[in-house]
Amino acid sequence: MSKRAVDAVFQALFLLSDVRFLLRETAPGHDLDAGQKERAATTLEKVKRQVAILEEELVR
Amino acid sequence: MKCAVDIESRDVEEMYINIDPIQAGGRLTVDAMKAAIAYGDGYSVCDNCLSPFRLDYIKKPPIAQFHADLAAWLNMDAVRVVPGARRGFQAVASTYVEKGDPVIVTALAHYTEFVAVEEAGGIPREIPKDAKNHITPDAAAEKIEAVIREFSKTPPLLFIDHVDYQFGNVHDVAGIIKVAHQYDIPVLVNGAYSVGIMPVDGKALGADFVVGSGHKSMAAPAPSGLLATTNEHAQRVFRTTQAKGDVTGRTFGIKEVEMMGCTLMGVTVVGMMASFPHVKERVKHWDTEVAHSQAVTDALLSIEGTKVLSDYPRQHTLTRIDTRESFDKVAQQHKKRGYFFSSELKKRGITGVIPGSTRVWKYNTFGLTEKQIRHVGESFVEIARENGLNIV
Repeated sequence: MSKRAVDAVFQALFLLSDVRFLLRETAPGHDLDAGQKERAATTLEKVKRQVAILEEELVR
Repeated sequence: MKCAVDIESRDVEEMYINIDPIQAGGRLTVDAMKAAIAYGDGYSVCDNCLSPFRLDYIKKPPIAQFHADLAAWLNMDAVRVVPGARRGFQAVASTYVEKGDPVIVTALAHYTEFVAVEEAGGIPREIPKDAKNHITPDAAAEKIEAVIREFSKTPPLLFIDHVDYQFGNVHDVAGIIKVAHQYDIPVLVNGAYSVGIMPVDGKALGADFVVGSGHKSMAAPAPSGLLATTNEHAQRVFRTTQAKGDVTGRTFGIKEVEMMGCTLMGVTVVGMMASFPHVKERVKHWDTEVAHSQAVTDALLSIEGTKVLSDYPRQHTLTRIDTRESFDKVAQQHKKRGYFFSSELKKRGITGVIPGSTRVWKYNTFGLTEKQIRHVGESFVEIARENGLNIV
C-alpha cells in the first residue's frame, strides 16, 4: 500500500483544481495578470512534484 | 472532451462568464471542488457514522459541528441539511398542513411551494403583488382576513420568498411575519436567493422557518439546502419516527420522519461544508455584489428603449430586464432573429441568457470579478451599438 502515492494523487488533483479555479476567475480571456501568472507557475511546479512522487512510487 | 462514455465535460464556467439567473450563487468554491473529488462516492460521509446513526451526529467529517455552525450563522436554533430548498418546504408543509387547509403563498412564490402545499393536501392562496412587484404586509393582512372568511379557519402556514425568483426584489419579510404572527400563523421564509449570498438573520426577521438552497446560493453541489427553525418548532418538524414492525418488532431509533432518516450522505453535504467558510465571508461583501449588479444594469439602461423591471436602484444581483424596445427590435430584422443576441454574447465569452430571448429576460451577476463585470457591461453596449441602437 502506498499512502504516499494516494496522497500525491489527491494533492495533484487539488492543485489542478486551483488552476481550474483560476481559469474560471479569468474567463473568458484567461488574460492573467502578474500575480495570477505567479500563482499559476507556483501551482504547476507543485503539481510536477506530486507527479514525480507518483512516478517514484508506481512506475520506477 | 468527454469525461465518460457519452458525457461531455462541462467547461461552461471555465470558458465563459455565466450570467444564468439560477446558476450564479451555486458555482462551487475551489474548496468545494476539492471536497467533491475526495467525497464523490455514494455514502462517503458514513465511514465514521456511530450510534445513534444519524447524519447530523457524525463527527468525522465534522457534520455535527457544521449543523451547529449553520444554526448560529442564521441565528436560528436548529438546522438540518436537506436535498434542496423544496425538500425543506415539503417537510414543513407535511408537518403543519392538513387536508383542506388553506395555505398562504404569494403571487411571486416559487412553484415548489405550491407543490409542497398540494402534496400535503392544502389549498394555496396567493397574496397579490403590488404595482412595484412587491409583497407588502398590508396585502398579507388583507389576504389572511379574506382566507379566514373563505375557509372559516386560520391558515396553518404562510410562505414568503425573501427575494423572489421573478424580479430579484427583496421583500419586507419582517413586516409580513409580524402580520402573520398576529394571527398565530407560522412563517416559512424561502431564502433560496438570499441565504448564502446576502446577510440573513432568522431571529431578526422573526422567521419560524428559514429555508436555503445549497445549489442555488451556497456554492454547493445539487441537490442541497437547509431547513432552519426555532426551538418552538424543532420538536414538531424534526420529530423522530415511532414506527414499529409488526412482524419483526423493529424500531428505528432517532431517525426523523420528515428527513426520511438521513439526507445528504456524500458530496452534497461535504460540498456545502467546504464552501461554508467562503459563504460566511462573501455575504459580508454583499454591497459590492449589488454595486456590480447596478453597473451591469446601468450599462443595459444606457441602451435606448431598455427598461429594468426589477427594483431600481438594484438591491440584488438577479435582475429582470425588458429589451422589447431595443434588442428585440434588432431581432425582428436580423437573419438570426432572436438568436443573434445570445450568439453575439457567446462570441464575447458570455453565456447564460436563454438563446432566442430578446424580449424580457433575467441575468445574475453574482460572484463575478470587477473585470468580468466591466466586460459584461461593455459587451451589452457594444452589441447594441454594432446593431444600430442608440446609446443614451
